[in-house]
Amino acid sequence: MSEGREPVLHPPSASAPPGPPDAGGARASAAQRLRRLVGGDGIGAVGLVLFVTIAVLPIAVSLGYALLYSIGAVGLLSDGLTGAHWQVLVQEAEIWRAFGWSLYIAGATVLLAISLALALALGLHRPLSEGPLSTIIYLPLAIPGTVAAFLVFQLFSGAGWMARVALTLGLIDTPAQFPDLVQDPWGIGIIAAHVGLAVPFFVLLFGQIYESERVRSLMELAATLGASRSQRLYRIAVPILLKRAFTNVLLLFVAVLGSYEIPLLLDQQSPQMLSVLTMRKYGLYDLADKPEAFIIALLYTALVGVVIALAFRYGHDAYDV
Amino acid sequence: MQAKRWTEWAGVLVALLLGAGCSGGEAPPPLDLVAVTWDEIEARAEGQTVNLAMWTGDPSVNDYMRGYVDSTLQARYGIDLQISSAQGNQIVSMLMTEREAGAAQSEFDMTWINGETFYQLRQIDALYGPFVEALPNRRYLDLDSRFIHTDFQQPIDGYEAPWGNVQFALIVDTTRVADPWQTREELADWVEAHPGRFTFDASFSGMTFLKMLLIDIAGGGDALAGPFDGATYERHSAALWDYIRRLQPHLWKQGATFPRDVSRLHQLYVNGEVDYTMSNNDGEVDNKVAQGLFPLTSRAYVPAFGSIQNTHYWGIPQRAADKAGALVAINFLLSPEAQHRKLRPDVWGDGTVLDVDALPPPWPARFAAAAEREHAPERSAIQDRAQMELAPEYMIRLYDDFRTEIIEP
Repeated sequence: MSEGREPVLHPPSASAPPGPPDAGGARASAAQRLRRLVGGDGIGAVGLVLFVTIAVLPIAVSLGYALLYSIGAVGLLSDGLTGAHWQVLVQEAEIWRAFGWSLYIAGATVLLAISLALALALGLHRPLSEGPLSTIIYLPLAIPGTVAAFLVFQLFSGAGWMARVALTLGLIDTPAQFPDLVQDPWGIGIIAAHVGLAVPFFVLLFGQIYESERVRSLMELAATLGASRSQRLYRIAVPILLKRAFTNVLLLFVAVLGSYEIPLLLDQQSPQMLSVLTMRKYGLYDLADKPEAFIIALLYTALVGVVIALAFRYGHDAYDV
Repeated sequence: MQAKRWTEWAGVLVALLLGAGCSGGEAPPPLDLVAVTWDEIEARAEGQTVNLAMWTGDPSVNDYMRGYVDSTLQARYGIDLQISSAQGNQIVSMLMTEREAGAAQSEFDMTWINGETFYQLRQIDALYGPFVEALPNRRYLDLDSRFIHTDFQQPIDGYEAPWGNVQFALIVDTTRVADPWQTREELADWVEAHPGRFTFDASFSGMTFLKMLLIDIAGGGDALAGPFDGATYERHSAALWDYIRRLQPHLWKQGATFPRDVSRLHQLYVNGEVDYTMSNNDGEVDNKVAQGLFPLTSRAYVPAFGSIQNTHYWGIPQRAADKAGALVAINFLLSPEAQHRKLRPDVWGDGTVLDVDALPPPWPARFAAAAEREHAPERSAIQDRAQMELAPEYMIRLYDDFRTEIIEP
């Protein structure tokens, strides 16, 4: 998110990061290169060590362990090295459905949440920056995922509040007539819960970017140059907001992709989202299924890696003006 | 020089990190139950903190454990009971990970287990024992009952102590269903006539329900007793899935999805979305009515083809640090006093594992009084409909095949 400080309307500066002058060139020893990397002083070194030990190493060790487990190199019930778990798993349609389903949920959530948040932030900019609404918008941020899922369930299940309202109005006679909005084939409940959690955050974020980037002044300037209202919105405001919030949007996608509590409460038994499926495989009665859980976790990590790599490679400058 | 120094430091940190993951302190001292007397065990237990892992999904069970068992253990034996929440497969995962990591001590000292957990824990050799013989209160246990001395067709061999015994029952609201179904045919007819009003959960209770249907299809009684037989399973399960597919379009949500666990099914029942719920515990209905959760007109029954009777147990992990404390706690849980309290429908309504008629007075009369219930038939009335739990592989296969045959067609 450090890229957020660069001025958006100018090409990013290409200057190299500050550091000691290159002394040894290509023949620098590994130690020298490392020292240069951390800036030569002790503080940088401590920072790097902490980063490696706290952030990189545990993840690397877990992934290594997962890999070893998945090929039978470790594990209490392992009979020695085998590729059988991978073979079995990649043939299971359930796994690929889970990947597709998770991508669909994450994609739909991002699309809906961002569109809604943009509309709110641009349409209600003034009431959101002053008055009671500016405080109320913070409240949903305090709701944990589990509670959001529970609220969605209470509201939209076959015997939920909405169904009761519909019953009172005479629209339905039995719970079964109420449309499936939770544990439904389209994941409506899951997406609704995620969107509900994400929208307030992005409204606030867009609001702040709107201020810090002086979007209003830019739009007024464009207006004096003859830009229409839709041109001002879609050529100036939306691109600026999206570009500056890009990292957050990506994080939302990844967070939804790996979410657990919300789909656990609101999904169908099939297809299941990746985390739910992984935990099911991990905790199933058949202990022989445990390596499969590690394989799904590895595949999931690879997917997130690819998504992030692609996004930063191609998505980064997509909205540059 | 400087670079070298901090890479060394990094190495030390890495070693510490890895080391912390691999060793969990000193191994607990062995407890040889042949060599020590019960008095010595009680003396050792005093002052111990016993970490207990159990399913904490039912407020009545929690109140019994947290409001009665822990304070009594503290007052009488000086044992500090610490209860943490973990369910069957989580317990297996934890103990399995501990063993894989080479931890010297287990996170907990005793755990509430059921048949399939027992099977898994024995599979990875994670249980301490045999210990049941060492408990003074074993003399009251009804160990002659084949529903108690055998757990999922596996002899308990002293590696788990029976704690409660329950029988599966269907629960129905009599104002909505006057004459509940008794046979597979009647069930099929009923769901066809009442679309969306019946389902079962995709977890333990629902799979137990499927197991009951499977036994019935196989011919009832002990048709599937003994070790797992793949060919027999294939033959009868094919008929079972045909039958379930026949019901499926008429189930709740057209059988496209099923409640995740039995508490969800209870919710649907209480909300009026379905007319039937079910429970592994024949006594649960009285307890849920007493809590005000189920309607007063709820009634438990066992269908004509019978239902599975199941015992739940206490086990001690092999590397538990405070085994003496765990033994004293388990012994107390098997006492007539603790068993009687647990049986009362207003407390929990969990069936006893004691041989009630052999207890010293006044206990037989007290147990008889506590066993009385309003919304479920007497245990003696459904005993002749009790089916034995099948070998664990049946449950494993049912879980898998239920997904492939029914949920993911």
